[in-house]
Amino acid sequence: MREQSAPEPSEDALLVGAARDGDRAAFGRLYQLYARMVHGVLLARVPLADVDDLVQDVFMIALRRLSTLRETASFGAWLAAIARNRANDYHRRSVPEDQLADETVDQNIENGEVRKNEDHDGQAAVILDAVRSLPGAYRETLILRLVEGMTGPEIAARTGLTHDSVRVNLHRGMRQLRAILNSNPDSGSPQQETR
Amino acid sequence: MIMFKGKNNSRNEPVAGRDDYLWDGSGQPDPEIQKLESLLGKFRHDRPAPVFPEIVPDRRWTFFPWRLRLFPALATAVTAVVIAVVSFQHYARQPLPVTVAGWDVSLVAGAPRIGANAISGKETSRLAIGQVLETDPQSRANLRAEDIGQIEMEPSTRLRLLTMGAALKRIALDRGIIHAYIWAPAGQFVVDTPSAVTVDLGCAYTLQVDDSGAGLVRTSLGWVGFKLNGHESFIPAGAACATRPKVGPGTPYFEDASSNFRSALAKFDFEDSTPGQRAGDLAVVLGEARTRDALTLWHLLMRTGEEQRVLVYDRLRELAPPPAGVTREGILRLDQPMLDLWWNQLGFDDISVWRHWERSWSGAVTPK
Repeated sequence: MREQSAPEPSEDALLVGAARDGDRAAFGRLYQLYARMVHGVLLARVPLADVDDLVQDVFMIALRRLSTLRETASFGAWLAAIARNRANDYHRRSVPEDQLADETVDQNIENGEVRKNEDHDGQAAVILDAVRSLPGAYRETLILRLVEGMTGPEIAARTGLTHDSVRVNLHRGMRQLRAILNSNPDSGSPQQETR
Repeated sequence: MIMFKGKNNSRNEPVAGRDDYLWDGSGQPDPEIQKLESLLGKFRHDRPAPVFPEIVPDRRWTFFPWRLRLFPALATAVTAVVIAVVSFQHYARQPLPVTVAGWDVSLVAGAPRIGANAISGKETSRLAIGQVLETDPQSRANLRAEDIGQIEMEPSTRLRLLTMGAALKRIALDRGIIHAYIWAPAGQFVVDTPSAVTVDLGCAYTLQVDDSGAGLVRTSLGWVGFKLNGHESFIPAGAACATRPKVGPGTPYFEDASSNFRSALAKFDFEDSTPGQRAGDLAVVLGEARTRDALTLWHLLMRTGEEQRVLVYDRLRELAPPPAGVTREGILRLDQPMLDLWWNQLGFDDISVWRHWERSWSGAVTPK
């Protein structure tokens, strides 16, 4: 594994307990452990430009509600649910979800290949857009893996998903991403076909 | 130009050893994935932790620390003990704060009522277990529970709070319309209706029940499970599902399906038709189905007899080929693991979440 190993559930429980007792350093540690997960969950759903602000919103909401969390070992799943809900609020209050693509993203998946972009950033944005066109079950997991650099076991530990679910989502998501990046529009993106 | 070789496209499932790099970065590096990591890594989270506000400890008993600091350093031990004892006795007589399990209710419009009491617009009211919240044609209300979510209640709606357990929170919607935004873990929030049980699986949705007890759920985020008497439906974002008393959940469908498709499906689900008419309705559904309508066809496998199931299987296979490990014979005999494998292949969500909920709760949850 290249990233730091996932904490044991008991570590989460200890940190949550300490944070509830007023230990800001413990909550800071939870932020360090979970910020990439929250960032990835949001990046799968909202425009890039707003993600960082929403990450802070999510942790502020979690801070206020920490005393209501009954199963402290489920902090990750609880935090992920807050992030998904915050993304939902974002869309209810601002832009429709089908406008997820950022203005800077060049929608140029065409003729069986992705057009060459002159700059590295544009190329990355096009691929990010392709990932975000995947079915919901896959895009979140794939963003956590490819963007946030989390390993499969780490994704499972942070989100509360099972190892099997993460492994299958990674595999199928990657397969569909390859198909998008290689195929023509008639073969369709997964979003067009299966969502 | 970004071109990928599309390797492994013929494989439907991960293969141990060959996907190690994708799984945890071990094993032989995959150059394609490395390139994606390199390109997409620029979007990675890299902000330092913000300065969080002071956390107010969640304690009921904070007497000694601050009280002792008020005493001068030279106070005698006897005085301190006396004061401590007196203070302890004083606090011991005070009733501990009582938090009634329930939802906070706020007025949006009109005069919603909890039981016989109208809600004041000035302060938040509490809907406790066993109580009824009702809006008249001019009223609207919002409910909120910090560890569950938020519910917007439309006019002419009546709901009851049934339970607020740690692992299962449950209300009953007798009639009307609610919009639910749920952040509790999947499977913990359940809404009973007269004709089905609605299980939140991580989502936002609208649920409505008319005076006859017929219902409709429309999912806007995540997915919802609908269940009654062995009939179950899974409704992902963008889809809807109707339910009828004594029948239970119908077949879910995407709301952008053709009108012919939706009309024929409604007849197939709920009308008391002749076998010929039913066959005709099914033919329309199969003929009009698009690839994403695999959602509907997958459910129809379990709602058709052997003869019609073959037709559904053949059409579903055309639209969304089954993954490895799923056979025609298995599907036609409704082998659940194979049905689940095929569902997961459709890309809506992982059905294991629902199966976990079924094992935990379905025996204990029937509409009340």
